[in-house]
Amino acid sequence: MEQRDIPPETARPEAGAGRALPAIASLAAVCLVGALVSSSEPVGTVLIAAGALCAAAVFVEALRRGRALADRTARIAALQHTLARQETEATRLSAVVLPEAIDRLRRGEPAEEVLTSLGGRAGPGNRWGSDDALTPRFRTALQGVLAHAVDAVDNEESLRDSAQRAFVNVARRVQAIVHQQAHEMREMEDRHGRNPDVFGDLLRLDHGTALIGRLADSISVLGGSRPGRQWSRAVTLYSVMRGAMSRIIDYQRVELHSVSEVAVVGPVVEPLIHTLAELLDNATRYSPPHTRVHLTAVEVQSGIAVEIEDGGLSMSEEARARAERMLAQAQSGIDLNDLGETPRLGLAVVGRLAQAYGFQVSLRSSAYGGVRAVVIVPQHLITTASAATGLAHGIGSSSGPRAVSATPREHPVDAMPAGVSVPRPAPAPAPGPMPVADGATTERTATGLPQRRRKDRLTTTEVRPAARPQPADDNGPGMWLEAFHSGLSGEPGKDAPGAQDASGSATKGA
Amino acid sequence: MKEPPSSWEDGSPERLYVITGGRSGPSTSVQLDLVTLVVAKGPPRPEMQPEQASILRMCQSPLSVAEIAAYAGLPVSVVTVLVGDLMAAQRVHVRPPIPTAKLPDLALIEAVIDGLQKL
Repeated sequence: MEQRDIPPETARPEAGAGRALPAIASLAAVCLVGALVSSSEPVGTVLIAAGALCAAAVFVEALRRGRALADRTARIAALQHTLARQETEATRLSAVVLPEAIDRLRRGEPAEEVLTSLGGRAGPGNRWGSDDALTPRFRTALQGVLAHAVDAVDNEESLRDSAQRAFVNVARRVQAIVHQQAHEMREMEDRHGRNPDVFGDLLRLDHGTALIGRLADSISVLGGSRPGRQWSRAVTLYSVMRGAMSRIIDYQRVELHSVSEVAVVGPVVEPLIHTLAELLDNATRYSPPHTRVHLTAVEVQSGIAVEIEDGGLSMSEEARARAERMLAQAQSGIDLNDLGETPRLGLAVVGRLAQAYGFQVSLRSSAYGGVRAVVIVPQHLITTASAATGLAHGIGSSSGPRAVSATPREHPVDAMPAGVSVPRPAPAPAPGPMPVADGATTERTATGLPQRRRKDRLTTTEVRPAARPQPADDNGPGMWLEAFHSGLSGEPGKDAPGAQDASGSATKGA
Repeated sequence: MKEPPSSWEDGSPERLYVITGGRSGPSTSVQLDLVTLVVAKGPPRPEMQPEQASILRMCQSPLSVAEIAAYAGLPVSVVTVLVGDLMAAQRVHVRPPIPTAKLPDLALIEAVIDGLQKL
């Protein structure tokens, strides 16, 4: 179909032929009139012949014209078809191809790949290459547009990527400094622990540092990285929740209720702390300053549900839907540029973490009138508390090894629930156990379920009679106070063993 | 990207101010010093803070504040706050340290000596 490639000037010769037609026709007419007018036969014959010739020429020309007209009609139809095709392709480029290209680039596909698969390059995937209705020029133009657009988007994306990386990088450095500082702060707190004034100031500084750390963690999460430090070992849920409390401003308003004795596996400790901290921050920020925020954790079928309830203003259904939508949006990926003020930042972080680690977060109206946020930690991220070390909370870390060395493990019952009760029988067989050693061993894992506590109590009362007389005989420092205590608790203090009975009964009574 | 040093894996996520509720000293008027002896009135209750529970367990027989702090691995101020709370809740007895101010002053002693000598 090469006529489409011919420039429009090719029509000119026909126009010339068109002008020739009237001349030939008038020539024929002149010949006819001449033949009629002339009387001599030869002249008439010649004129008639010439007229016939001219008529034949006219006829031939008319035929040629008819053919040309048909040609032209066909060409117009073909051109119209081409125009329609081009229109279609241009529309498709803007409505389908470009959005798809941008979308795929945003999802991180390499620009070259996107370009090839969408027909931006000559090759097997070239959707315009095999189309006869499109001129090569038009094809090149389409590919050019696509290539330019893809280039621009790709540049933009990589710019944003590097900006995000820069964010994360800075956040990482802040995190490292904060961690270092928190570590040193703890050492200082130990060193100056005897001076309440200095200690109080240190606590305030420590708190401030933790707040900075949370911000750095948030930036890091929004930049697509993981929050803060990593924990290689499981940490008890109680510690995780208190860790979350320690990262918000109004931690004193948070009331920590009963927590089931489970631990969270190492890799999700930090994300969970951060998630809870952001939700607690929202809860304390958007409820009246004198109200409490309730933090509880209960076991549910699918895992552990951590609930945060505040007594603030209830969310309207619309606000709740908005918040949930924000969470969902964050879960599908967020844009740093889309983030507005702080509360949105918090929810965005929560959504991102929930998506990455498989928590389920939902916001509901609370019975207290405020908002109730529930985070469900799936079963596979939960482990038994015994998997968590005694280090889970600060206390007892120093007495851990001692407890282990004094453990003869005789009670088969106690062997099962691990950490807490295993060291318990230790005082009985130990030859002359200081009561101190007893305390040191029992406090090893102190977060507790009620029933475990009850077992404590039973074991304690069983063991006590064997262990107690010795300290009484020892006449160790402060034994007089124990006698005093026995007297206070209502038992008639007979003698040294009596004192022990008294404390036993006090134990039962309590 | 470099992670923070691995030493950070140890320790606990909770900070001391959460354990003390932001306080740096006991709220009670009773002075607690390092040698103040503490003894539990009974076993810990389930709803107690783990640190308080472990102090109660440790103090089944009398223990000084300094010892509690050492065994618990907590600064003394934290222990005094916790013990102060336990005192307020009537869960422990403490033997208050002898206040130095109660010692009779020199003038009084001299007056007594004088008086005795005059007899």
